[in-house]
Amino acid sequence: MIIDHLFLIFWTLMIFLSVAWYGFLLFYVGFKGGREILELTRTLDSQSPPAETPPESKT
Amino acid sequence: MHLTYLDWGIIVVYLVGCMSAGIWMKRFVHGVEDFAIAGRAMDLNLGIASLAATELGLVTVMYTAQLGYTHGFAGATIGVLMAAAMYLVGASGFVIGPLRRAGVMTIPELFQKRFGTRVRWLAGLFVVLGGVLNMGIFLRLGGEFLVAVTGMNPKWLEWVMTLLLGMILLYTVLGGMLSVLVTDWLQFIVKGAGIVVTSILVITSLGWTNLVKALWICFDGTAESVGQTLKAHPFNPVHPTSFGWTYVLWQLVFQIAVVTTWQTTIARVLSCRDEGTARKMYRRTAFYFVGRFALPGLWGVAALIYWSQHGGLPADLQGLPVNDASLRATPAYLGVLLPMGFIGLLLAAALAAEMSTDSGYLLTWATVIYNDLIAPCVKRPMAPKTKLFITRALVLAIGVFLLFYGLWYEMPGNAWDYLAVTGNIYLASVFTLLVAALYWKRATRVGAAAALVLGAIGPITFLIVNKVVPVDKQISPEMAGFSSFGLAFVGMLAGSLLSKPETADATQPQVAV
Repeated sequence: MIIDHLFLIFWTLMIFLSVAWYGFLLFYVGFKGGREILELTRTLDSQSPPAETPPESKT
Repeated sequence: MHLTYLDWGIIVVYLVGCMSAGIWMKRFVHGVEDFAIAGRAMDLNLGIASLAATELGLVTVMYTAQLGYTHGFAGATIGVLMAAAMYLVGASGFVIGPLRRAGVMTIPELFQKRFGTRVRWLAGLFVVLGGVLNMGIFLRLGGEFLVAVTGMNPKWLEWVMTLLLGMILLYTVLGGMLSVLVTDWLQFIVKGAGIVVTSILVITSLGWTNLVKALWICFDGTAESVGQTLKAHPFNPVHPTSFGWTYVLWQLVFQIAVVTTWQTTIARVLSCRDEGTARKMYRRTAFYFVGRFALPGLWGVAALIYWSQHGGLPADLQGLPVNDASLRATPAYLGVLLPMGFIGLLLAAALAAEMSTDSGYLLTWATVIYNDLIAPCVKRPMAPKTKLFITRALVLAIGVFLLFYGLWYEMPGNAWDYLAVTGNIYLASVFTLLVAALYWKRATRVGAAAALVLGAIGPITFLIVNKVVPVDKQISPEMAGFSSFGLAFVGMLAGSLLSKPETADATQPQVAV
């Protein structure tokens, strides 16, 4: 049946493209996501409330 | 146990790295907004990693592999539909666009703006019940995967999963969404590596052409000595022996509801910097969901072929009910297939899958309980530290509840019916409310209440009917699902049209629609 062959081609494409896409994202998101984590921590650091300073000594 | 020192080394390095990164993020948590939605500072690639990691848990791998085992490649149809739904929603901004613009922290919070506090509270209850009960099954199934792959003594399952949950709770309670994001990123990498390597090993072990031929033989019944081991057409999902048209159409509707309504997915949308980032995250993550079904499905197909060619399932699986045996067939096959070192990688990937999903889910449901069930009932504003303390305590409480409900205590009766009902109640009700709140100005709080009630009555009725009628007369999942959504929509329409439209000051300011 032609429909069976078309479905087989479709699933073959889906599976091999999925392996390729997962492999690509591994490196792409791995690299870019790592940089975004650093950026996120910098942003949060800059937004953090200032640490409380101890009261000045009288002496 | 099948593990060598190399396997153990890989697992220990992964766990230490993950825990250190998660605990380190605690220093950046200054309030509930940092804890629950990472201060809305999440960018695109971190969002992709987090969304993909959270929605691909060990329980997902078990089910999608089972679909491959019982439906061949056609079992991945649901993944293709989910990817299509996610891409369409990302491209159009349907629901997620106005939801992100509304600046809310959870979905029920949006309902308060349109329908008032009571509807928010009731919807929050539905969201939490559906979500937490759904999650109850994760730990045990995840543990069973580990037992099957490693050959670990099943008596250790509860203790191993308790230890794992303890580790997850430690970093989730301390760092909230910030820890979840960073560990999700690490887990995305480990899990991706495990999935890619395992899939390549599965394909090369049989060869693609041989795999396809052997799969067809399992379906046409010419497999030597075991006969037909696959009842459904392995390629065509609309073939009468497979899912059929009605089920496929139902899944398309269902997946649109899932990607616009499921709170753990929406939590990532609400954590994004802006609407554009959220929509781009959906579009770029969409194809990942094809692989979420197709690759474990491929392992399931290979397991079916392997066990068919080796005289049937191993002895310890043969006495189990058909559903349980097909669930465990793939992990048992992977335990046989994978060589030294690769089992360690697969296990690290499996732990990553379990940890990313559990941490994301724990945080999400705790945030809804705090934000939509507790906060609306408190008259005086709470101090930021108190809010943070309560949310952390809720994460811990859900974790403890899951330990006993999902791991140490075995539920009587059919747990799956229970979960299907709670999931349908959640999706039918909340999806209807969301669409009406965002796109229908005439929607009223009476309509919202009617949608919630009818959306709950439908699934419960179907459960009762299916318990009392013979198997051949039972209502199919797709008919039950369509009817649940239909009832919720009818409730919203009738309730809204039969009640007076609310004045602008009856609720808080309207959402921009």
